[in-house]
Amino acid sequence: MTIEPIYLTRTVKGGGCAAKIPPGVLDKALCGLDLTVDDNLLVGLEHADDAGVYRVSSELALVQTVDFFPPMVDDPYSFGQIAAANALSDVYAMGGIPKTAMNIVAFPSKTLDLSVLRSILEGGLDKMREAGVVLMGGHTVEDPELKYGLSVTGYIHPDRIKTKRNLKAGDRLILTKRLGTGIVSTAIKAGLASPHVCATVTQEMATLNRVSAAVMGRFDVHACTDITGFGFLGHLAEMVVGSGAGVNISSTSIPLFSEALDWASMGLIPAAAYTNKSFRGDRVDFAEGVSGSMQDLLFDPQTSGGLLIAVSAADAEQMIIELVEAGVTSAAIVGEVITSPVDRIVVLL
Amino acid sequence: MKESLDCCGLECPAPVLRVRDALTQSGISEIVIRVDNEAARQNVCRFLEHQNYRAQVVIQDGVFVITGSNEGVVDAGMPINAEPVVVSPDTAIRKIMVLVTSAHMGRGDDALGDMLMFNFLKTLKEMGPELWRLVFVNSGVNFAAGDSEAVPILQELASSGVQISACGACLAYFHLLDLLQVGEVTNMLEIVSGMKRADSVVTV
Repeated sequence: MTIEPIYLTRTVKGGGCAAKIPPGVLDKALCGLDLTVDDNLLVGLEHADDAGVYRVSSELALVQTVDFFPPMVDDPYSFGQIAAANALSDVYAMGGIPKTAMNIVAFPSKTLDLSVLRSILEGGLDKMREAGVVLMGGHTVEDPELKYGLSVTGYIHPDRIKTKRNLKAGDRLILTKRLGTGIVSTAIKAGLASPHVCATVTQEMATLNRVSAAVMGRFDVHACTDITGFGFLGHLAEMVVGSGAGVNISSTSIPLFSEALDWASMGLIPAAAYTNKSFRGDRVDFAEGVSGSMQDLLFDPQTSGGLLIAVSAADAEQMIIELVEAGVTSAAIVGEVITSPVDRIVVLL
Repeated sequence: MKESLDCCGLECPAPVLRVRDALTQSGISEIVIRVDNEAARQNVCRFLEHQNYRAQVVIQDGVFVITGSNEGVVDAGMPINAEPVVVSPDTAIRKIMVLVTSAHMGRGDDALGDMLMFNFLKTLKEMGPELWRLVFVNSGVNFAAGDSEAVPILQELASSGVQISACGACLAYFHLLDLLQVGEVTNMLEIVSGMKRADSVVTV
């Protein structure tokens, strides 16, 4: 008997964080909601941060987040790993330590074998184990489109929360993973990516941001977020808008999957990259010579992307050394915070 | 020859793939593609330009009608109506040979150099399929022999197709000939001819 290969990505329309509802649309739905007020809610919905934070005592706060999406890779076990790494990342981006998790599953049990679900859950569990997180339960619904993710709870000290909004002029910006996972996933779906590229990008997406967060904890970090569905420039815009500062990005310093630039020039770009560009493009000035493919890559929706960290210039080089020593070999200084133009991003060659 | 495709209702990357398949027929001077979403419009235009077709778009009843034409397009690089180029990193792979001449990377502090070299070997896989041959000489042979922590890393490289070898004279000098864990024993003639065949040689 031969076992037919499973192509999970062909069973869904849009995979990974590219499946997020577009940012402008979501704002309309949330606008004007009558939210509960609570003094212990330290980080809530209002600033669209990576996770919510609730103070339990002067020493302890809970970090909570939820994330799930359709598959962006064909292998069920890898999909489980990536979805879990992606969900856990929001806690790391806040400076917290994830502790417990619940599975969230939507599964087409009539068209996919249960062994597929089993592999997905095993992949997720392996990442939770690596993160020191205990699985407490979960919820599964029947759905024509497969989806998987986690709700995660972690600890954080109420005085050590890292939000998106605290850029200081002179800060350096550090990015810890390569960009291009959305474009590469599109190429995988098109059957154009070599097994080597598939394996490399899968491994990058399945890598926890745990080590990067641990290194970050040793420094006086001013702001942090993780790069997911809104793309590098989309998430950077969330840091910049309202900060009273501007940002210069060096496009040649950006860590990326080099094949993604070729595929972008061929038009293998996920629809969400265009949505991200039309939502935030007016905040960004591209210097002459920054190629169209590079611009698309900077708006490419990422799945389980890296941390984007703002740290003083004095600490930045040392942080890179410690990140690379700890095995975060893609980490690079990609830009700096400047005093003007305020609330804008300038992408230099 | 003219060709027409209706890609309404299709999401990326399907429209681009339909266009690519259509252009594999020779002699298509004009192709008309109908798409119904903005991402597909932009992606199809990009693909046409990538294939040296000029793209024009008109909107009819909410549908983007894209006309790609290669008549009169001056092209220095690619013959008109050439087989569409599918970018694949695996075509015409360059050959990189890496020569590791020491157990330490750089000069200064050997303990730091040990760590750097270990990290270098761990990161080498990022070269991808271009990494062709990895050769160890002098004290570098220690990585491939005995109980070196690098052995599993090198085994992984070997299993992905990288040719790994260690200098026989060097193994003998360090009494490691019987302890080689990964790769082949090599000699100076083979190393030199490898350097000649490689597209680039990196020495560390």
